[in-house]
Amino acid sequence: MSDGPDSGRPTFTLVEVPDTTPVDPDMAPMFSAPVQDGKRRKGDIFRPGPGPMVEFRNVVKTYDGNSRGLDGVSLGIGTGEFVFLVGPSGSGKSTFIRLIIRELRPTSGSVTVGGRDLGELRRSKVPYLRRAIGCVFQDFRLLPDRTAAENVAYALQVTGHSQKEVRRRVPEILSLVGLDDKFDRLPRELSGGEQQRVSIARALVNHPRLLIADEPTGNLDPETSLGIMDLLLRINRTGTTVLVATHDQHTVDRMQMRVIALEAGRVVRDEESAGYHEDTGEVLA
Amino acid sequence: MRIGMFFREALRSIRANAAISVAATVTALIAVFILGAFIPSFMYVRSAVDAQTAKVDVDVYIADTATVPQVNALREKLDGLRTDGTVAAVTYVSKDDALRIMKERLRDPSVLDELPSNPLPAKFNVQPTEAENADVIVAAVTNDPALDPTEGIVYPESTADRLLTAAKFVQWAGFVLIGILLLAAVLLIGNTIRLSIFARRREVEVMRLVGATNWFIRWPFMIEGVICGLVGAVVAVGMLWGIKVGVVDAWAAGADTALTKTGSAAGTIAFPLLTVVLVGAGALLGAVGSGITLRRFLKV
Repeated sequence: MSDGPDSGRPTFTLVEVPDTTPVDPDMAPMFSAPVQDGKRRKGDIFRPGPGPMVEFRNVVKTYDGNSRGLDGVSLGIGTGEFVFLVGPSGSGKSTFIRLIIRELRPTSGSVTVGGRDLGELRRSKVPYLRRAIGCVFQDFRLLPDRTAAENVAYALQVTGHSQKEVRRRVPEILSLVGLDDKFDRLPRELSGGEQQRVSIARALVNHPRLLIADEPTGNLDPETSLGIMDLLLRINRTGTTVLVATHDQHTVDRMQMRVIALEAGRVVRDEESAGYHEDTGEVLA
Repeated sequence: MRIGMFFREALRSIRANAAISVAATVTALIAVFILGAFIPSFMYVRSAVDAQTAKVDVDVYIADTATVPQVNALREKLDGLRTDGTVAAVTYVSKDDALRIMKERLRDPSVLDELPSNPLPAKFNVQPTEAENADVIVAAVTNDPALDPTEGIVYPESTADRLLTAAKFVQWAGFVLIGILLLAAVLLIGNTIRLSIFARRREVEVMRLVGATNWFIRWPFMIEGVICGLVGAVVAVGMLWGIKVGVVDAWAAGADTALTKTGSAAGTIAFPLLTVVLVGAGALLGAVGSGITLRRFLKV
């Protein structure tokens, strides 16, 4: 369907994309990027430093039996990067992400996030790791009996913010993702795209340095997907590192960002400003 | 602020899982009700046994042939036991008194008039301070020259021993039963909380995802368990109160004269104290039940 990516195409193509979010040029102050300002926040477990945000060294993850999630992956994702993780189902994308949020531990090799070796991270510190990482999933993972505002508020309450601060920040962040008039809607009363915006707002409300999105547009129609991707890109421009696992070929081709392609647990391609498929010049079906 | 939030979360969960919460509450209600019915009964049995064991007195019979100095010597010996604390009271019952008591007991006292003389010996009725002291008293007066050779010393040795054994048995059986009841209640509430966690597995998953610590996830569940336990306990106390006023008190009033005649000093736990104990037990059941389950099911 899509034509091969035009390698000279600049990232600004986004301007052509119909944007469903209100343009907010002052988004940057909302998302601090503490690695850059050098300050450590209270309860922050990331170690300040110039190193990469995420680093995999010879990571192997074997599941029960012989099935391999990852088979010797080594790569780094720099602070402030926007990276697409692509590959067919079962290629190891989910394993990659679950290793970063320490839902899984590698069979061998090491995973470092924000300067912390996750192999040495005590179990009691895992919640603090997850607070420093925003997560967005294909199925949104919203609490079904809570309104949009309550879903976002929950992430703030978890981190011990006062009710006063919750009341201040929740409307702010919801407006930012373009849900000004949907604060009191339950997830089932929202469209897929709106639910995903709530989920992004929840991931952002604690100012994560790293935002991970696992198939964020998997359940959305192409137009809505573009809006979501645009939102992720704007978040990235404020200094937040963004990692998007997807098999949404259109989006990847259009955005021309760094692409890491996995296949059977191995990195088969890692390219700056690339499309979904290797640029071999052949016309893709 | 945080406590308020945990409470709101717990109430939200109870509303969201109404059926499960009702099940937990009913479980707590049944457990507390049985406990509340059992505690006073158990206390009553114990106190009745205590009252019985307190009544083991020793009768020291005096020979008709005993001289006045011999009887005085025996009385001094027993008085000596009273000063060292083994004996609570010594009462002298003369031959005439003994005959009078016998006459009162008999349905037809005229048979005694047929007797040529009073066959009953005089005696000292000795009340030990503790049931166990009976042995000391017996040892002290055995072989006393003033003793009646045929009657000697009479004390309900076997009765006392049996009562003591029964008292101990009742006590231990009571503890074991209460223990089993509490364990059952804890397991049932724990199971209910497990259902509640299971129903909210996805929610717990999301909580972990946004970085909730284990305790942050646990508190609402704990409070949920405690609320269920408390509500169950309060309803159970209400039911027990109804039964006490409507059934037990009415029965006790009817049986009152019979009881006072037998001189039973058996009492039981005061209702306000019982209420405090049961409500506390309900809260504890909820907390322990959910706590145990959470330990097992909320490992990150």
